Amino acid sequence: MPPKLPPPSLLSPLPSLPLPRQCICQTRSFSHTRRQETQAREQLFSWLHGPGKVFEKPLPNSTNYLSAYSKTGQLLRATQARAKQADAEPEKPESDDLTPEEAEIKKRDAWLKKAAEDVDAEMGKGRVPKESMEDLRPFPLNWEFVSQPVLSEELRDAIYRRVAEEGGSVRAASVEFGVSMERVGAVVRLKAMERQWVQQHKPLAAPYSRAVLSMLPTTPYDPGHPVHHESINDLPVHPATTQQIFHPTAESRPFTRRDAARVFRQGLRPADQRIPHPELVEIEKAAQSGRLNRPQRDDLMRTVMERESLVQKLKEADEAAREQRRVKVISRPRHDFKVENVSVEAVGKTGRKRAGVGWRYGMPLEDRKRGQVRIPTRVD
Amino acid sequence: MVVRIRLARFGRAYQPFYNIVVAHARTARNSKPLEVLGTYNPVPQRSADPAARPFKDIKLDISRAKYWIGVGAQPSEPAWRLLSMVGIVSPRKKAAERAREADARLRQLVAEKAEEIKGREAEAA
Repeated sequence: MPPKLPPPSLLSPLPSLPLPRQCICQTRSFSHTRRQETQAREQLFSWLHGPGKVFEKPLPNSTNYLSAYSKTGQLLRATQARAKQADAEPEKPESDDLTPEEAEIKKRDAWLKKAAEDVDAEMGKGRVPKESMEDLRPFPLNWEFVSQPVLSEELRDAIYRRVAEEGGSVRAASVEFGVSMERVGAVVRLKAMERQWVQQHKPLAAPYSRAVLSMLPTTPYDPGHPVHHESINDLPVHPATTQQIFHPTAESRPFTRRDAARVFRQGLRPADQRIPHPELVEIEKAAQSGRLNRPQRDDLMRTVMERESLVQKLKEADEAAREQRRVKVISRPRHDFKVENVSVEAVGKTGRKRAGVGWRYGMPLEDRKRGQVRIPTRVD
Repeated sequence: MVVRIRLARFGRAYQPFYNIVVAHARTARNSKPLEVLGTYNPVPQRSADPAARPFKDIKLDISRAKYWIGVGAQPSEPAWRLLSMVGIVSPRKKAAERAREADARLRQLVAEKAEEIKGREAEAA
């Protein structure tokens, strides 16, 4: 704690009072020299007022990453487009009174000025060429990171309409829009929630959503020319297949993917069946062998899709029927009783298997113990 | 010793949950039973669909319950209610109704006997 300053009355000259020795320092001297700016600070401000000025008003409907601009703060893709245009134009004859070097310098100056003006004009109209891969790198030092497109609002609406309103299957929608099935499911769920919120008059963060979408690369929706958002038929990595196995096999008999799956784990389906859209492979095979034209190919696609959805529906109906046989609902005035037929054998020979029915004996519940995760993992 | 089918209360305070068990009648309620036939959750459950009616969950090995009834296990009052709902035993009637039925049976028996005696008298005459 610093020593207490004496009250102002004591600071006024009162020579008669015998002040203690340490209170002689009556005034404190502060430095009045100008603080030196650090180099980094200087650089920051020179950047802010120089090349960084373009980021004050971000380019609408485009990403605004550092790597898209030159060191002098010019939009690279716009200047490049301008250069191409200039190359295409025929060169005008120069006046004779200039030396070749002077003419060259003059030409370059004029071109740079025009390019800068053009970029300004284009920016104003929002007609800047689309970003290339190099413009989509937000981190100049991490060249591997490329900003990935997100679904545009129109595309999300189209997906929701197809699945929720027209009753199309998630699988078919995934193929049609080139969006993975997981993402289609998420879009439908979130859109449904959004509609519910609108009905309940809950506020939506629409301006935020618009602002973010205007700054990110998006996959547009064009019904005539569908743009594929992502690769939809990647083989998911099953944990059982991540091990290296030395498996001796006879040379005389073929070893297929089906066999490989069996070697990895009993009951694991072969890779051809584990991909999200096995039917696409079938269509592609038919297209390759039969040299189908576009309408025939579309027709085949539709047929295969319909078959798939029918098979899916039958499977679901079968499942529901089995469930109904297992669970009997008995109606009573106040509640229903759901009676599920189980097997006492599920508890196993030792009587300790987790699948066994009933509250377990001799096994304390740990749900109130510290450090137990109590987040529900499923909704019935 | 009598073997009973009865409920063993588990769960927390105000959150009952029952095992439907087969146990000897004189053992403690929550002691290890001969067999756990199933469970009964008396707290009405709501499904995700808000329009659906709430339900109470019963899990039961029906064939095993039938077996125990067949070899003479005696269900307790609440266990009887559950088993009768599934159709393993007939529903229990109230005492008054049972008395009424017994009364009717007795009257019918008396009437039959009286007719029999009358017939015999007529034969003798």
